[in-house]
Amino acid sequence: MSRRTRRYRQRIYEALDDIRRQNALHRFGDAYLAARNEAFSGLDFDELRREIAVMKDTVREDWQTHVDTFIRQAEKSGAAIFVAEDGQAANQYITRLAQRHGARLAVKSKSMAGEEIELNPALEAVGMRVVETDLGEWIVQLAGQRPSHMVMPAIHLFRDQVAELFGKVTGAAESDDIAHLVEVARHTLRKEFLEADMGITGANLAVVEDGSLALVTNEGNARLVATVPPVHVVLVGIDKLVPTLEDAARILKVLPRNATAQAASSYVTWIRGPAPAPNRQRELHIVLLDNGRSKLATSEQSRDAWRCLRCGACANVCPVYQAIGGHVFGHVYVGAIGVVLTAFLHGLEAAAELIQACIGCRACVEICPADIDLEHIILHLRRRLAEKEGTGKVKGVVFKRILRNRRLFHGMLRSAARMQKPLTDATGSIRHLPLFFSPLTEWRTLPAIAERPLRDLLAEEPCIFAPRLRIALFGGCAAEFVLPQIGLAMAQVCRHLNIELVYPETQSCCGIPALYAGDVETAAELARQNVKALTESEIDAVVTVCPTCTSALVRHFPELLADDPVMAERTAELAAVTQDAAAFLSKQLDNLPPLNHPAIPHTVTYHDSCHLRRGSGVFLEPRKLLKAAGWSLKEMNHPNRCCGFGGSYSVLGQPAIAKTIACDKLQDIMGTGAETVAADCPGCLMMLRGLLKKRQLPTEVAHSVELLAACLP
Amino acid sequence: MTTSVHLLEQFCLAASRAGAKTVRSICPATAADYIVRHAGGAIMLPDFPSARRLDLAALLQAHGGKVQSGDLLRTSCPAEAGITGANFALADTGTVVIESTAQEVRLASTLPERHFVLLHPAKILPDHMAAVPLLRQLHRRRSPDFIAFITGPSRTADIERVLTIGAHGPRELHILLLEELSDDFLEC
Ligand code: SF4
Ligand code: SF4
Repeated sequence: MSRRTRRYRQRIYEALDDIRRQNALHRFGDAYLAARNEAFSGLDFDELRREIAVMKDTVREDWQTHVDTFIRQAEKSGAAIFVAEDGQAANQYITRLAQRHGARLAVKSKSMAGEEIELNPALEAVGMRVVETDLGEWIVQLAGQRPSHMVMPAIHLFRDQVAELFGKVTGAAESDDIAHLVEVARHTLRKEFLEADMGITGANLAVVEDGSLALVTNEGNARLVATVPPVHVVLVGIDKLVPTLEDAARILKVLPRNATAQAASSYVTWIRGPAPAPNRQRELHIVLLDNGRSKLATSEQSRDAWRCLRCGACANVCPVYQAIGGHVFGHVYVGAIGVVLTAFLHGLEAAAELIQACIGCRACVEICPADIDLEHIILHLRRRLAEKEGTGKVKGVVFKRILRNRRLFHGMLRSAARMQKPLTDATGSIRHLPLFFSPLTEWRTLPAIAERPLRDLLAEEPCIFAPRLRIALFGGCAAEFVLPQIGLAMAQVCRHLNIELVYPETQSCCGIPALYAGDVETAAELARQNVKALTESEIDAVVTVCPTCTSALVRHFPELLADDPVMAERTAELAAVTQDAAAFLSKQLDNLPPLNHPAIPHTVTYHDSCHLRRGSGVFLEPRKLLKAAGWSLKEMNHPNRCCGFGGSYSVLGQPAIAKTIACDKLQDIMGTGAETVAADCPGCLMMLRGLLKKRQLPTEVAHSVELLAACLP
Repeated sequence: MTTSVHLLEQFCLAASRAGAKTVRSICPATAADYIVRHAGGAIMLPDFPSARRLDLAALLQAHGGKVQSGDLLRTSCPAEAGITGANFALADTGTVVIESTAQEVRLASTLPERHFVLLHPAKILPDHMAAVPLLRQLHRRRSPDFIAFITGPSRTADIERVLTIGAHGPRELHILLLEELSDDFLEC
């Protein structure tokens, strides 16, 4: 095999692996939600989490007193306490302790704080061997990686990969039977437990009233780590302090249910002081870790993150996490809390890509047992990032990686739809729009991701025999995932016109969000993908239901691909046959069968979308459509003034300005007294609908194609 | 149904959901026989009040059991089973609570393949919150101390999220409900 072929194969394997992992994370997210809802049945999750939030806030506000009291109580039980200002101080304390005891082997049970301060390398640097004993952590350690999930560290690896890793340890070929692999771990690690000189664990809770610690595990490894070796070190963040045993009980009720959908974990171990052993002295050292937490406690914007219980749920339900996994969407801590903590512990720069990747769907907020508005914090970080780096400069690898990969991008939006649904309140009401370009969440309500995307709905539409024309529909993200009914209406109108409408499978985002964020490369890559998708088969026209997409196809694609020798010509051809739905349909109206008009015409007013009127010069056509559909058109003042949505296309738009613009628009609409307002741009529709809904105004909002479809026979 | 019967029912159901096996209404002799039949080898028997009260070592031996006690970390042949008492239990989650400050108790409930727990059926509390005052008393009673809340056998789902029983701790958890045990909640 040539080197090139090998490299090629390698890439394919990597891609396949990715698909396998994405599917696994999707399946996990779905199964998790179902099981978790079951685990909480009969309990009032909202009440529980509010209680926890209040309690954690009390500790945060006066953490120093709580730390002092905890130390006094824990010392009474015979433990030695060290308060470590930062990771380096903690590592130094633990390595010196190990050296003092001549320790050569340390066994560890999972500790996120240990990952945070990179304790293992520090111990190895003084010649110690460190063995992780949590199965997932051990696997990740053998693979030389870091955990990709806080609760399930090896969720990104598969049984065959684990078998290979274990085979290297045992020197035998291990079968990939999971029960067998668990047995190999049990057997191999048992020896390590018995020989270890030092045991290191984290703690899930540190109780101020009596200096006790609680360790929660399912495997039972923490109990062995805490029991067998002569020295036990507990590394615990000061954010884990709770005032009383009642507070601890409340957290223990919620934590296993939210983390792993269990009513209780197999083992909750309460430790106070060094548990004795016959004929030898045992020691318990508690390292209380600050490492930025006291700073977090006073951060106006991020301090709620102090409440985090490290349950991992905000990753489980995050569509971005599901799409790209924890190694990309996270640092030490992954998922939504990972974004916040990375920004806080490692600086805004380190988190820049993660901040950009969040699509604002708020699934994490709904699931968080500590009632942290993670999305709000991330939004704030995004603004700060913009202030610091300027609008155009922010280019995230994550952002690119998702947007350039249609399967990934669409998979992410599909899972956002699934993840939002079971979490929505009973009214199924308006949720936040999970698109890259919606930082304006405070003053308007935004629609949810549709339950089924446009392409799925179109697949169920009947076929047309012997059509007059054949057109391709370019959906665009908004019509594909948020307002698919527009595309469906277009298909219905076409059917009555005896026009076949095809929906090219591999079309993707038009790239405008990337372009507006200054990421020209991603925009060009998307242009290439879309040109390919749309020119693959013989068609008479390409029609869009979003004028922003039209402007991308007609103007930006030719610019972006002007220097591409292969694509330039096809791009020009595509631009020549692309038009907006209203423009296309207005020429076909004579072919429509007689329409059903209401006896008394309803009034409609029409809003000219910026990109349609100024981009394509289309404004007479939609009005013609509305009249054909039997509506009485009442023009508003300034129909072609922007509704404010345009501002939100730039990730870092100016909310205050957009808000003023939107209020003016609202006045113009209300001035007409029309029952319905029509527009041709999904962005405008979302904007207008959100504005009207927030003020509880009854005016309907629709795409003109929808109004036409509504009166088809 | 009286409250205690109701709690007992609820406990047994929750414990079996968590993968534990509950054996009800047996006398000490049948309990010893049950343990010996299911132990699968040597039995770790730490010193705890109920074991003393039943003279469990003798009972087990009478039924053919091979009993280990003393410093269990130093015993040469690994035991297949371990026995401990339970201070009390929680009905809603099927949890047994075991004061495990003594090393033998910790080891007997951790190292072997099978863990047998002796529980007085009257010592079942509704939930963790109801157990907090007792936990507080146990903590205050002596320092240091080590208390285990155990729900079902050891488990992991770390490989492909497939639930697998028996990670580092016991693969089987048998809870034997006997009235001849200590009914003191602070005692095993
Ligand atoms: S808002 Fe949605 S995309 Fe952003 S972190 Fe939360 S779950 Fe993930
Ligand atoms: S932020 Fe909330 S959901 Fe995420 S890990 Fe922390 S407690 Fe769990």
